[in-house]
Amino acid sequence: MHEMSLAHGMMQQVLALLREHGAERVTDVTVLLGPFSGVVAESFAFGFEVLKKSETCFQDATLHLELPDPHYRCLECGVETSLPLTRSATFLDPDCETSTSSRCPVCASTRLSPLGGAELILQQVRME
Amino acid sequence: MCDSCGCQQDPVPINKEKVVDVHEQLLAANNEQASANRRHIEKMGAVALNLISSPGSGKTSLLEQTIERLKGRLSIGVIEGDLETERDAERIRKKGVPAVQLTTGGGCHLDAPMVHGGLHVLEHMAKGKKFDLIFIENVGNLVCPAAFDLGEHRRVVLLSVPEGSDKPEKYPATFRSADLVLVTKTDLLPYFDFNLEEATSAVKLLKPDLPVLPLAAEKGEGMDAWIDYLLALLPR
Ligand SMILES: Nc1nc2c(ncn2[C@@H]2O[C@H](COP(=O)(O)OP(=O)(O)O)[C@@H](O)[C@H]2O)c(=O)[nH]1
Ligand SMILES: [Mg+2]
Ligand SMILES: [Zn+2]
Repeated sequence: MHEMSLAHGMMQQVLALLREHGAERVTDVTVLLGPFSGVVAESFAFGFEVLKKSETCFQDATLHLELPDPHYRCLECGVETSLPLTRSATFLDPDCETSTSSRCPVCASTRLSPLGGAELILQQVRME
Repeated sequence: MCDSCGCQQDPVPINKEKVVDVHEQLLAANNEQASANRRHIEKMGAVALNLISSPGSGKTSLLEQTIERLKGRLSIGVIEGDLETERDAERIRKKGVPAVQLTTGGGCHLDAPMVHGGLHVLEHMAKGKKFDLIFIENVGNLVCPAAFDLGEHRRVVLLSVPEGSDKPEKYPATFRSADLVLVTKTDLLPYFDFNLEEATSAVKLLKPDLPVLPLAAEKGEGMDAWIDYLLALLPR
């Protein structure tokens, strides 16, 4: 994907907030990457680390990534469930995402339809 | 310990820290423009489809054959996205349909602001005439376009037989974001190691209610189901 440009866009949003609040530097940024967003967490974090070097107010900023488990609705019995995704350093390996071969905890059906999960959200900024 | 004089007193903390809860989409600017595009498209009288696939999966050929079947019945407009060149838009114009070429100059996807520009050009070309269907052919890429809402009503992902049936597994985010999957160039099934059932179940594993239609646009196979799908999108 374009994790680098996503990280760049996120930093622009943070800079605007910094100006808005009259703060000078960013200490912490929390970003939520939905499990179905297609964004590779490692690449996003890498993009942030590279780009922050060229922005003085980001020098000491720490990026926190929230990686929530995916939610599904079972098309057989209607139950809504959240199942863990095996996210790891091998997230770049596309097979690891589908390898969960998820089943409904109630009726064991594999007909699980994803609920949301594509979101990319700037959650919180700490600044001073 | 105090840094200035070395005394044992802790420095008085000057707490300037601010915590701002934002909860804003990273792609907020794109998403807002996409919503505006959707309203714009509806004002033009149309339903819009965003076609996503690898390069060469048959998007332009599908559009040519679709226009062939619907011209005279429906008013169609096309926005073509490509890295360079007007070639695809020219192929569409040859079919007698207004087509706008957006060139990204190397950019790997279309975004909502680009499509917004395209909609205005399309409107200008149609001289106030209403549209029924607007097709947006995205830049050939199975990864990046997935994250960008363009203001479409339906997202169609194409997978051609020569690409192999494991594509849905390899690009799950893109297939999950689709409203319809088209398996294209099915006339080539006898010559490739492509298992239609396997591809369909790979798609269903990602999103069980995602419809899959097989077709070969250039041979006219499976086109009726696709045309029916399009007609069902129109307000009656
Ligand atoms: N065998 C076969 N070839 C096709 C079919 N549809 C398109 N093609 C060929 O696939 C190539 C790429 O098609 P094109 O529509 O330009 O792909 P795009 O890059 O997705 O727009 C062209 O050489 C087409 O002739 C089909 O139904 N069957
Ligand atoms: Mg094309
Ligand atoms: Zn169930």
